[in-house]
Amino acid sequence: METIFSQWKFNLGASLLFILLITFYFYLTKGKLKMGAAFYFFGCFLMLVLSLSPLHFIGMHYLLSAYMVMHILLLLICGPFILMGIPKETPNTSIKKTSVFFFNYPWMGWLAGIGLMWFWHIPKIFDAAFPKSQSLFGFYPLAFLHMLTLLLAGIFFAWPILGPHKELRAHPLVGLVYLASACVGCSILGLFLTFAPPTLYHHYFMADTFGFASTIKHNWGIDRAMDQQMAGLMMWVPCCFIYLSGCMMLFFKYINAKEKPIVIENNKLERRYS
Amino acid sequence: METVNVPEPEESLPSTSISNDQGLLQWISTVDHKQIGILYLLMSVLFLLLGGVAALLIRVQLSVPNNNFLSPEMYNQLFTMHGTTMVFLVMTPAILGFSVYFVPLMIGANDLAFPRMNAFSLWIGLFGGMLLYFSFLAGGAPDAGWFNYAPLNQRAYSQSSGIDYYCIGLLLVGIGTVGTSINLIVTIIYYRAKGMSLRKLPVFVWMILINSFLIVAAFPPLNAALSMLLLDRQLQTHFFNNTSGGSPIVWQHLFWSFGHPEVYILILPSFGILSEVFQVYSRKPIFGYSFIVGSGIAIALLAFGVWVHHMFAVGLGLTVYSYFAASSMLIGVPTGVKVFNWLGTMWGGSLRFTTSMLFAMAFLVEFTIGGLSGVAFAIVPIDWQLTDSYFVVAHLHYVFVGGSLFGLMAGLFYWYPKMSGKMISEKLGKWFFWLFVIGFNMTFFIQHILGIKGMPRRVYTYPDLPGYTWMNMLSTIGGFLMSLSFLLLFYILHKSYKIGKPAGNDPWDAYTLEWTVSSPPKIRNFTELPPIYSYRAFRDLKENAKNNKHGK
Repeated sequence: METIFSQWKFNLGASLLFILLITFYFYLTKGKLKMGAAFYFFGCFLMLVLSLSPLHFIGMHYLLSAYMVMHILLLLICGPFILMGIPKETPNTSIKKTSVFFFNYPWMGWLAGIGLMWFWHIPKIFDAAFPKSQSLFGFYPLAFLHMLTLLLAGIFFAWPILGPHKELRAHPLVGLVYLASACVGCSILGLFLTFAPPTLYHHYFMADTFGFASTIKHNWGIDRAMDQQMAGLMMWVPCCFIYLSGCMMLFFKYINAKEKPIVIENNKLERRYS
Repeated sequence: METVNVPEPEESLPSTSISNDQGLLQWISTVDHKQIGILYLLMSVLFLLLGGVAALLIRVQLSVPNNNFLSPEMYNQLFTMHGTTMVFLVMTPAILGFSVYFVPLMIGANDLAFPRMNAFSLWIGLFGGMLLYFSFLAGGAPDAGWFNYAPLNQRAYSQSSGIDYYCIGLLLVGIGTVGTSINLIVTIIYYRAKGMSLRKLPVFVWMILINSFLIVAAFPPLNAALSMLLLDRQLQTHFFNNTSGGSPIVWQHLFWSFGHPEVYILILPSFGILSEVFQVYSRKPIFGYSFIVGSGIAIALLAFGVWVHHMFAVGLGLTVYSYFAASSMLIGVPTGVKVFNWLGTMWGGSLRFTTSMLFAMAFLVEFTIGGLSGVAFAIVPIDWQLTDSYFVVAHLHYVFVGGSLFGLMAGLFYWYPKMSGKMISEKLGKWFFWLFVIGFNMTFFIQHILGIKGMPRRVYTYPDLPGYTWMNMLSTIGGFLMSLSFLLLFYILHKSYKIGKPAGNDPWDAYTLEWTVSSPPKIRNFTELPPIYSYRAFRDLKENAKNNKHGK
């Protein structure tokens, strides 16, 4: 018997993206595995698994909250992990140029991450991003664009903090403000979703094609209002904890770094106490 | 027309006489951060007296059952004014007073970045407080509690102009508080002594920096809510009026998105003070400097993610409650980290049990009690059972008094010699300490039990139920004991100022830069600064000198 948890579905878009990302890595490294490759592959693999998994299926057809988990993982876990694995030394100068760009304009990374998150949650755009009918191997151009942009936004958002060139990363305390303000951006969106009327996104009111609506409502006890609240709260509370963990990491990185000793000669006060 | 020249300051502590140029007019016109700091503290004392009288009247009313000493209407006004006064006009100015006085001195600056704005912030805050109290003469004070819930705050339920004064008064206080916070942020970021990187900032200054950001972020929702409420009451708009489509719940969200961070706004400076006090009186560096600062940042960031726990009885749904119960428990972690940092600082130290240190040590006990009862409120069923009962009253007083005020008292006894140039009698200080601690616990500990037994807060009297009478009487006696202790404190401070022993620059063998200058400091704080090697710059200077002497 098919259960909701057995809904692993082939996803052409995600599979193509996975192959593209792996190819891109080996293009960058001229076919070699470099330091941090594990991070890169983990990010790619997580993206693929998520896209094929029942979580994706539930998010696409039944629950905004499941979609939100996907969204947070793509933006805040897959994106940064892929970034952490991008090698610093590459024959191609585009990586260095991107680092320089985000060093000069870190707010562009912020805008990419937070702006895109808000953009995809505008109700009409959100509804449009979901397929209206079945297409070839589950490939829906807008849904693919949705996933691709979230992943890219995650990479660009993290670039000023975790970019491959350490010398071109934002100062840790700037990074702290960067992440804290991102948390505010997330919280406000989460707050809206939590307390908005449950009819915000029409997509989830469509006909139950796969027949799991009853299971979700009666066995899991999740109705539309609760689903939207859960989605908003995920954006508000756990999502912010990810940012805050980043803030703490940056703070400790700053505070524990060694400083050059200062030399001030012939200090009057020092002489007086001597 | 006769002109009056605004006197140029000549000393940090001029008299208050109106007969000379360096008297009252100098205080009123001052832009010196030290004088403004003292004025903030005096403002705090003035409103402490007013808020304290309100508290005593409340306790007299509650001392026996079925009492008619106060009318229900007057009782409502008094508990509202007591709470509002203590939060906005006593604790906040006291914190700002210590901040504007000591931050420049601790970072080697001669004043705040914007001295005139500093003066403006003080006076507009005082003016806001006076407006709030003027409401008594203008038909009645606000009477809907310090968090002033809708729809009680609407004209249909509160027809006097008290709540209008509440809105305007708190708006002005808010403008002043935000102004000072911006001033402190700019000062700390741009006016530190050469060599004092943020890694070498004294913990108190770190806490004030974090706190100032918190204030700048937290006050706008309150000010927006107050403006909206004023529009509701004056121009019949419908923001919070449920009978015409508004939402009273929005008031609660706006208020608590300010109100919960406000709890940390009132406690973080005390954390900073305690970190200085524990170090100096334990003769040890703070245990885990980076953790104590980091946990301060974590608290400030988490402060904005937990406010809904104040609204567990509203009916927002179990999903919402589950998330906020979890996040509310989480915020206990960085606070607990600090407590262990302080215990670690004392561990193995050479302790000096001064009055300041006693307050710091008592803080650990009292604040932990307040923290634990707070964690209890994060558990939703317990919250439902105890909300709006005396358990809440006990909890919040253990946090605000046992936490914030004990910390400020530790700061007062630690820094008074610097501000006045005179030592406080330790003997009398300890009398005050014990009287205050006994009075405080007698007043509020019993209220936990009253709350568990079901006594609701904000009801002007109660029936003669088993246990209610003696517990309330005990609480009232405790309240009077606390008042007596405050009278003793004022006497001690006055006596010390008049006939106390001269303090010298560094009476405690302390660690930070304020102790390098005279007591009280001159108008120009520093003419020279030591090299800054760590967050204990003065201690480094003394140690280097000692080592040089012994040829090390």
